[in-house]
Amino acid sequence: MNVFELMMEYIKEGRVKIDREKFAGKLTTVHDPCNYGRKSEKTFGHGYYDEIRWIVDQICDTWVDTYSSRENNFCCGAGGGAWAMPYVNERLYYGRKKAEQIKQSGAELVIAPCHNCRDQIMKGLTKEYDLPIETMYLWELLAESLIIEPWSEEEVAKAEAEAAAQWEALGVVLEDEEEEEEE
Amino acid sequence: MSQEPLKLGKRESKLRVDPKWADVCLTCGTCAGGCPVTGVDGFDPRKAVRMAALGLDDELINSRWPWICTLCGRCERACPMGVEIVAMTRTARGLRERDKVPGPIHKGAMMSMQRGNNLGIPKDDFVQLLAEVGHEEMDECCPGFYVPVDKVGARVITTINSKEPFGEPEDMRFWWKIYYAAKESWTVSSTEWEGVTWGLFSGDDETMKEQARRVLDNARRLKAEVLLLPE
Repeated sequence: MNVFELMMEYIKEGRVKIDREKFAGKLTTVHDPCNYGRKSEKTFGHGYYDEIRWIVDQICDTWVDTYSSRENNFCCGAGGGAWAMPYVNERLYYGRKKAEQIKQSGAELVIAPCHNCRDQIMKGLTKEYDLPIETMYLWELLAESLIIEPWSEEEVAKAEAEAAAQWEALGVVLEDEEEEEEE
Repeated sequence: MSQEPLKLGKRESKLRVDPKWADVCLTCGTCAGGCPVTGVDGFDPRKAVRMAALGLDDELINSRWPWICTLCGRCERACPMGVEIVAMTRTARGLRERDKVPGPIHKGAMMSMQRGNNLGIPKDDFVQLLAEVGHEEMDECCPGFYVPVDKVGARVITTINSKEPFGEPEDMRFWWKIYYAAKESWTVSSTEWEGVTWGLFSGDDETMKEQARRVLDNARRLKAEVLLLPE
């Protein structure tokens, strides 16, 4: 399963609740990662374009597409391992197209469903092209908009017992437990 | 310069490019027109295709082009003749001498083969980090949360991008919050949990296969129904 399918399952089945006020009125745009789009379309016969937009639409009330997007989207510039490669100037030059697109969209928030793309947009392009934006992972957007209902006391007690047994079996000692022992 | 004439043929081509590509490619330049790095080092996708079709394999393999290109596939998508530019470029990457692969990609892939993840994070450190971040950072929002490690029978098993435990551990909380809210039964393996396959980028199919086998083995060992690859 990929990230889109699992997030969509949680939202559709009502397993997570979203606070739409959280990002209300914040102009948002989405970035189509090459791997989930063109590459997936070519390899598996399906490009994940609609899924990204459906999830963003559940959370954000004001979002726009960049032009061009979907199967003709511009790569962020850091794909194919370029984020880790030594050709930094070329990587930033590559990203100028993406940066222009984001600027033209007027968005304050850019959603990137990929680690590489998030890093390039947030840590590379924002500074290089002076973009007035915040960049988030798609799952970060969902996590930040959740209405989290704490588990019941029984559920918490059960989880704590499981956790204690697991960490003991793995030989992990947590710090505040150490302090308790010292006391 | 060699004075020997070049022999062209699919068998002679290191890049496995049939010389017929010289005719298939219409030289329209749509690929080059849509590529953000056309012109860097004097290269562009069309030129790379011509080089491959005309037997200039070594010149292409030893150039920076296959690595400046991000394999994004915009050129190929627009090509009216269906020339497989991305696969050709990745093949060129795979033919680069391994000690001359730029950056940490090949080294990371080898590290992953030897130690289970691209950055060489030991099991004890990884498990300790999951325990600590899960405990300290999640207490406020999510009472009762912990990271289930090697939990047999969990519905979802997830891989992890090694950059997160290495440098951005707090970013692991996003998925953790979602799992908590959804009351998901999930787990992560204590070993070979790497979700990033650098063999894909270095053109190394064997490493890719091994990485995929490990991820699947973990899912089978822990009897998970759903394998999540959050990349």
